[in-house]
Amino acid sequence: MSLLSSFLYFSITIMSGGPPVSVSIESSCEKQVQEVALDGTETYVPPLSMSQNLAKLAQRIDFSQGSESEEDGAESEPKDREWSKEPEEEEGTVKFQPSLWPWDSVRNNLRSALTEMCVLYDVLSVVKEKKYMALDPVSQDPAANKTPQVFQLISKKKSLGTAAQLLLKGAEKLSKSVAENQENRRQRDFNSELLRLRSQWKLRKVGDKILGDLSYRSAGSLFPHHGTFEVIKNTDIDLDKKIPEDYCPLDVQIPSDLEGSAYIKVSIQKQAPDIGDLGTVNLFRRPPKTKAGTQAWHVKLEAAQNVLLCKEIFAQLSREAVQIKSQIPHIVVKNQIISQPFPGLQLSISLCHSTGEKKNHKASPEKPKPDDHLYVLEHNLHQMMREFHKQQLSSVVMPHPASAPFGHKRMRLAGPQAYDKSEISSLQHNEGLLEKIIKQAKHIFLRSRTARTIDSLASRIEDPQIQAHWSNINDVYESSVKVLITSQGYEQICKSIQLQLNIGVEQIRVVHRDGRVVTLSHQEQELQDFLLSQMSQHQVHAVQQLAKVMGWHVLSFSNHVGLGPVESIGNASAVTVASPNGEYAISVRNGPESGCKVLVQFPRSQTKELPKSDVIQEAKWSHLRGPSKEVHWSKMEGRNFVYKMELLMAALTPCP
Amino acid sequence: MEAPPVTAMPVTGGTINMMEYLLQGSVLDQALESLLHRLRGLCDNMEPETFTDHELVYLLKGQQGNPFILRARRSLSHPTSPWHLRYLGQPEVGDKSRHALVRNCVDVAASHSLPEFLNEMGFRMDHEFVANGHIFRKGAMKIVVSKLSRILVPGNTENTERLSLSYLVELSLLAPAGQDTVSEDMRSFAEQLKPLVHLEKIDPSKQRH
Repeated sequence: MSLLSSFLYFSITIMSGGPPVSVSIESSCEKQVQEVALDGTETYVPPLSMSQNLAKLAQRIDFSQGSESEEDGAESEPKDREWSKEPEEEEGTVKFQPSLWPWDSVRNNLRSALTEMCVLYDVLSVVKEKKYMALDPVSQDPAANKTPQVFQLISKKKSLGTAAQLLLKGAEKLSKSVAENQENRRQRDFNSELLRLRSQWKLRKVGDKILGDLSYRSAGSLFPHHGTFEVIKNTDIDLDKKIPEDYCPLDVQIPSDLEGSAYIKVSIQKQAPDIGDLGTVNLFRRPPKTKAGTQAWHVKLEAAQNVLLCKEIFAQLSREAVQIKSQIPHIVVKNQIISQPFPGLQLSISLCHSTGEKKNHKASPEKPKPDDHLYVLEHNLHQMMREFHKQQLSSVVMPHPASAPFGHKRMRLAGPQAYDKSEISSLQHNEGLLEKIIKQAKHIFLRSRTARTIDSLASRIEDPQIQAHWSNINDVYESSVKVLITSQGYEQICKSIQLQLNIGVEQIRVVHRDGRVVTLSHQEQELQDFLLSQMSQHQVHAVQQLAKVMGWHVLSFSNHVGLGPVESIGNASAVTVASPNGEYAISVRNGPESGCKVLVQFPRSQTKELPKSDVIQEAKWSHLRGPSKEVHWSKMEGRNFVYKMELLMAALTPCP
Repeated sequence: MEAPPVTAMPVTGGTINMMEYLLQGSVLDQALESLLHRLRGLCDNMEPETFTDHELVYLLKGQQGNPFILRARRSLSHPTSPWHLRYLGQPEVGDKSRHALVRNCVDVAASHSLPEFLNEMGFRMDHEFVANGHIFRKGAMKIVVSKLSRILVPGNTENTERLSLSYLVELSLLAPAGQDTVSEDMRSFAEQLKPLVHLEKIDPSKQRH
């Protein structure tokens, strides 16, 4: 304010609605700038001195006016009007002349400022409550935003990112809840479960019950069991509690005699000395293995079907065991069928059926006896039963013309072709399940015993060596093995003994390399003797082959010599070979029991005593072979017979 | 050489006393596919079997009123199969509650000289027809879905004309006399074929007009 020339500090008390507010005033600028020089220095107007100030103030006073006049009263009216805004005006308010009091405008401005501030404060406090007023943003002038574009981009990106995040989270939650719902529905829905059941098992509706068929009748079985199971709804579930993992809304009720699980045990043992403890086979050690993901009803139904098939197999076997006449009758006791395939051997077929959870604890501490359960035969029984079923359904049974009854096609020809009884019986299947399985068991046993014989011989005898090559592809009734007898180190030279053994059901047929066919019975000793005799023959054959290689001449050879001690196993064989220059000869006689005997024949000139005789005139006769001497074969150097023989031959062949 | 003695007593055992239980129905041509599908599912699991047969019906007119009927049937799709001669007796008039038609049935396989033999015996051929269709089996039950065609020129099985626009469905079972429980099985099976085809017992004597 230009009126003030020095610091003046005083307070004005403004009366308004609220408490009095003190305002401090300070002069803004002290000195006025008179002139600004070119170099920036400011020249101030020198401040007024005291006398000058006084003179200035005195000029302002209007001496012509009085202090309280009527004109004041007229002028005080607008003042009153001004002051009417404040009805709480106290008495003794100093009435200043508005034109005379220089702070009036200041006071008015301040008062209006205070009013504005109070209004603003009131508005804000009302807005804060949010009940009666709300703030709305005022759209800003876009030209006023002078922020750089990069910031705009970044901020937009961030905001979009947050929005996207929120949306994604929401969508995820939604999809998760939908999937959960579906999962729950799938698991808890009886009808969808029923659909799954129906896709694998035969179901039909009878009245208000749902029945199913787990028998093999539609696959060709003739077993009279009905095999009906019932499908029931599983309603004993408490929805408030947590639903267990393996909860299934569907349950099946299988016939009581098909509960548990069963298998057929086929085993071959040495004949039991007494017959008293038969029929007590009840061992069970196969735990039911469930694949992950299969339903409980599926497992139950499959187990029941397996029990039914095992029952059918056993019923068929026992029926045949009773009906078929065989030399040694089969014994059927409780759940076991016992028959004798070979003397001293016992084949037992038993149906092991364990019902329910309570396992027979007597059987669990099992004796660690070797597992003689022939799984192959059990599998074959199942297969044969299914094949029998299939035959019932084959198109051979279907009648052509269509009005004819069911029956095998060839049997229908029996009438028109006038078959006799033998022809008809040849048409019918005369080999039942039991006979087949006994034959298979015999073959398995014979094969394993043959293998054992060959292996024991191979491990016992080192010279010559015996090799067995079993063929991979076998029949249920026939297997074959090729047996080679060789000497170590001379396999290429001495390979004359090669035997092909065809192991059948009761016999072993041996085909020799040179074409001879020998049929051996099931006796173990026969095979062993035969192989031993072949081994001894091999040694002699080896000498013969070796002679060819070494250049020696074979003078005589015989597979079965009639001279010398009689062998109890087979026959002895012998060979005589002469050296290239004829001076020496080696004779070998080999028998399976008597071992080998080697003699060497020397020329006459090497004998110690040369018999003088008048008959022999010339000296050339002394080169002929004369007496023979036995070789101490066991002391001979060499790891096997043929090697020793080679050394002998080499020793008897002088270098030129 | 003496002739072997002729037994005076008629043969009573074996296959002579078999009874045929029969239920019949028909479907239109359009419904054949669905019927075959259903039968394929219900019956034993085999490859579907089709057949083409030629049937000749022989009559022996005696002095009495009712002629004696024999049916000779051969397969055209399997020419080497033997002929099939069939005698069907009168339907048994039992209790009305029996679900299937029961009649005595004698089935005999014969060689290919059967028509001449029947002619020599005095039978005269009444009519012949060709039937072709499908045959299904469930246990002992036989289901035959056949289309009958009329032979225009006697003896010529190539030239045939369809008799109707539908297929004949027959459910039959051969059982020894006295086993009435099989009709229950037949009825329950026929229930499963509804509403595709309604199999019911149709008395042939009521069809004559």
